[in-house]
Amino acid sequence: MRYIFKFPDIGEGLDEGTIAEWYVQKGQQVEMGEPLVKMETDKVVTDIPSPRDGIVAALYGRVGETIHVGSPLVEFDLPGIDGADAVSEVQKPVFEPVNEEGAGVVGTLEVADNSAYLPPTDEVAPTPTAEKPLPRRALATPVARAMARELGVNIDLVSGTGPAGRVMKEDIENYVKRESSGHYPPYQTAASTAATLNTASAGGGRAAAGTVVPPASEAFEIRPLSQIRKTIARNMIRSKQNAAHMTVFDEVEVSELIRIRYKYKEAFEKEGIRLSYLPFILKATALALKQHPVLNAELDLDNNRMILKKHYNIGIAVDTDDGLVVPVIRQVDEMTIRALATAVNTIAEKARRRDISMEDMKDGTFTITNFGSIGGQFAVPVINYPQSGILGIGRMVQKPVVKDNQVVPGTVLPLSLSVDHRIVDGGEVTRFLNKIMEYLGDPVSLIIG
Amino acid sequence: MDYDLIIIGAGPAGYVAAIRAGQLGMKTALVEKKAVGGMCLNWGCIPTKVYIESAKLFDRIKSAKAFGIDGIDPAQIAFNWGTTKKRSDDIVKKLTGGVNYLLRKNGVEVIHGQAQLNGPSSVTVNNRLIEGKNILIATGSYPKNLDFQLPDGKSVEVEQLSQLDSFPEKILIYGFGGVALEFAQFFRMINREVTLVSPVKNLLPGVDTYLSSYLLRKTRGRGVQIIEEAQLTVNTDNQLFINDKPANYYLLLNCSWRRAVVPASEVELKLTADGYIQVDEHLQTSIPGVYAAGDVNGLSYLAHVASAQSLYVVNRLQGMPDNLKINQFPINIYTIPEVAQIGLTEGEIREKGIEYRIGEFPMSANGKALAEDSADGLIRVLSEKKYGEVLGVQIIASNATDLIAEAAAFMSVEATVYDVARTIHAHPTVSEVFLEADLDAADTPIHK
Repeated sequence: MRYIFKFPDIGEGLDEGTIAEWYVQKGQQVEMGEPLVKMETDKVVTDIPSPRDGIVAALYGRVGETIHVGSPLVEFDLPGIDGADAVSEVQKPVFEPVNEEGAGVVGTLEVADNSAYLPPTDEVAPTPTAEKPLPRRALATPVARAMARELGVNIDLVSGTGPAGRVMKEDIENYVKRESSGHYPPYQTAASTAATLNTASAGGGRAAAGTVVPPASEAFEIRPLSQIRKTIARNMIRSKQNAAHMTVFDEVEVSELIRIRYKYKEAFEKEGIRLSYLPFILKATALALKQHPVLNAELDLDNNRMILKKHYNIGIAVDTDDGLVVPVIRQVDEMTIRALATAVNTIAEKARRRDISMEDMKDGTFTITNFGSIGGQFAVPVINYPQSGILGIGRMVQKPVVKDNQVVPGTVLPLSLSVDHRIVDGGEVTRFLNKIMEYLGDPVSLIIG
Repeated sequence: MDYDLIIIGAGPAGYVAAIRAGQLGMKTALVEKKAVGGMCLNWGCIPTKVYIESAKLFDRIKSAKAFGIDGIDPAQIAFNWGTTKKRSDDIVKKLTGGVNYLLRKNGVEVIHGQAQLNGPSSVTVNNRLIEGKNILIATGSYPKNLDFQLPDGKSVEVEQLSQLDSFPEKILIYGFGGVALEFAQFFRMINREVTLVSPVKNLLPGVDTYLSSYLLRKTRGRGVQIIEEAQLTVNTDNQLFINDKPANYYLLLNCSWRRAVVPASEVELKLTADGYIQVDEHLQTSIPGVYAAGDVNGLSYLAHVASAQSLYVVNRLQGMPDNLKINQFPINIYTIPEVAQIGLTEGEIREKGIEYRIGEFPMSANGKALAEDSADGLIRVLSEKKYGEVLGVQIIASNATDLIAEAAAFMSVEATVYDVARTIHAHPTVSEVFLEADLDAADTPIHK
């Protein structure tokens, strides 16, 4: 019996993923839980494990190809069932990697049709595409859809000239014409040039490399956007378009913080824990958030309400080779400096191994971006929407400071706090920042509370 | 300015534009020299359908016995032209009354009189000068005069038919197109001897040759003599000749070429070689701000296309985005059986080099058509092979002119044969032929 395993919904409203690497090939026996494919999704690169034991009958997609959630990924030949029929069946060009129900063509396998091939199983059922709300589904004619699919055009990006903005055949033609007549030629992937997929040849597994074929040119280099870059772009624009950004800058004298950190640094190191300033800043922020709840809130304009969160999960913006990711440390308010230091170390290690999971990035309520570890004192950080604030940490610098009417050398930590001014008023922002500075200027108060 | 829009001509282009303009709040004047409703409502589309309906019933009732109705003796029944005309007049009155009501309701000022264009924004009617921001010429067309002179009473235009009290035995129809064939069948159904003389080879220009040859065969089968590519001449004795043979006729009905009715103009209005008002892609004439819609621009002779054009003009004047897809409209011929077509013909598809397929289904396999004793005909769905988009639909059926509407709807949304084949059609209906023909195109017919 055949079983088509569809790309499952791995969380957080993911629509699609790009095949980074196949671990299996056609004809290979796999066991349940064995990784099948490495998928690059929004923000993470993750392995998709096999949902059951079986023989791989077909791989739906090549390296570099984008697969939508709910689209077939791997077809299994289940043990005890004659596989010849299954293999011959899947060699038919039947797969269209689209995320649209009802747009298929008679004689082809419809993506949204979950029941057609799946036998009743106790497996995790992939979320049917039809039930998943998409961000915006273009109103389009059947021919326009078929044409967009064939030409690899994302129809949701095409503006329609038909009644009520319906995307017509001509709109797709014009879109393609416009795209290809631009200054820079479009890049092509094997996926976008092939109308239907020959599953037999896609079974080459790891051998099917080099599918990204940018046009040769000396004047510029063209790179396809990674999933992470696409997500970053989308989120940044979403934040800037929705939140009313306002930023406050200040400096806090942190000689005492430096002293305390120095005091415990070595002891921590002996336990294998690197103690940075970040755990102190996290703790200070969490305690300040508790006292200024609107900074840990979210606006729900559609329902005329504000959601004040009673958990203090702080995301930390981490710079990786692939792009910015924001893993979250949960319930920071309840953690000790030691526990926070360990958590920060774990995140750093995971980031280095490109191992940060979707789970690691969920449920943040506030964000800290520590750009000072690279350089720069002040910045205007972009809010991790829909959160209400983000704290930017600049580079510590030695400066003359006035203490007891004397100018003495001091060390100051520059802080840049961006908030969504729709949620937070100026006075509250300043009081919140003052609170953080109070904690950092007198770290013992972090314990005393 | 007196008006936002002055419309000259109250036919299906003009009156529709006027109502629309009124709805959009434009101050509108509608100038008409004859009758609101134009050719279509008063002498063309509607009255001729009334005539044809009477003739069809007259023809059909002869087979009443086969339907299980006794008591009708075909030898005893007779066609009454006077009553038919009366019925037509009543219907026309009802419809023009409705149009006048709608014009009033939407604040359109109807001015009776002949209009003359004085400039890009001024028109004279009855020695009165009126000014409008824009002008729409919708003056329609009239039949071109015959190249020869016949004695009085020997020739007639469609518009004049209602003035006749009776029809003579032998009718000669001169012309081509759907109207010529409709009248040929009409007169034949009411037992007249009919000769249809066409000055051109192709009697149905723009219609798929499959349909035209089918219809010509059917019409000939009813006893109409059809002579194609023939010359009519009159000798010095006023005798009419078809090529070189004397014509045996009592009345000639002129269904030949039509010509634009161009209003007098003091400013130069550019015309095409055939005398139609030249328009650009937005139906604007050579005078900026002056538009022309309907027959007068020579793009089509169909009432529904005229209306679509004029709506486009008004919507566009009001800054509403609109698409003018004048290559996609139904062509209907009200014969027995009816013939309807939309989209590209097979010849046009071939010319464009498109790979296509034809889905076909005969009416003889449709239960409802059989029940109605109208199993004559078929449907053809022409689709391109790549996506299965429907490019053209052709129907021969007793109610083809209504059936074609489904094709018009699905083609306007660029439907594929797969979409139509998946649409549940009620059973039993004649419309099921759509399902079957599209299934046929998708290679999976059920009842064939």
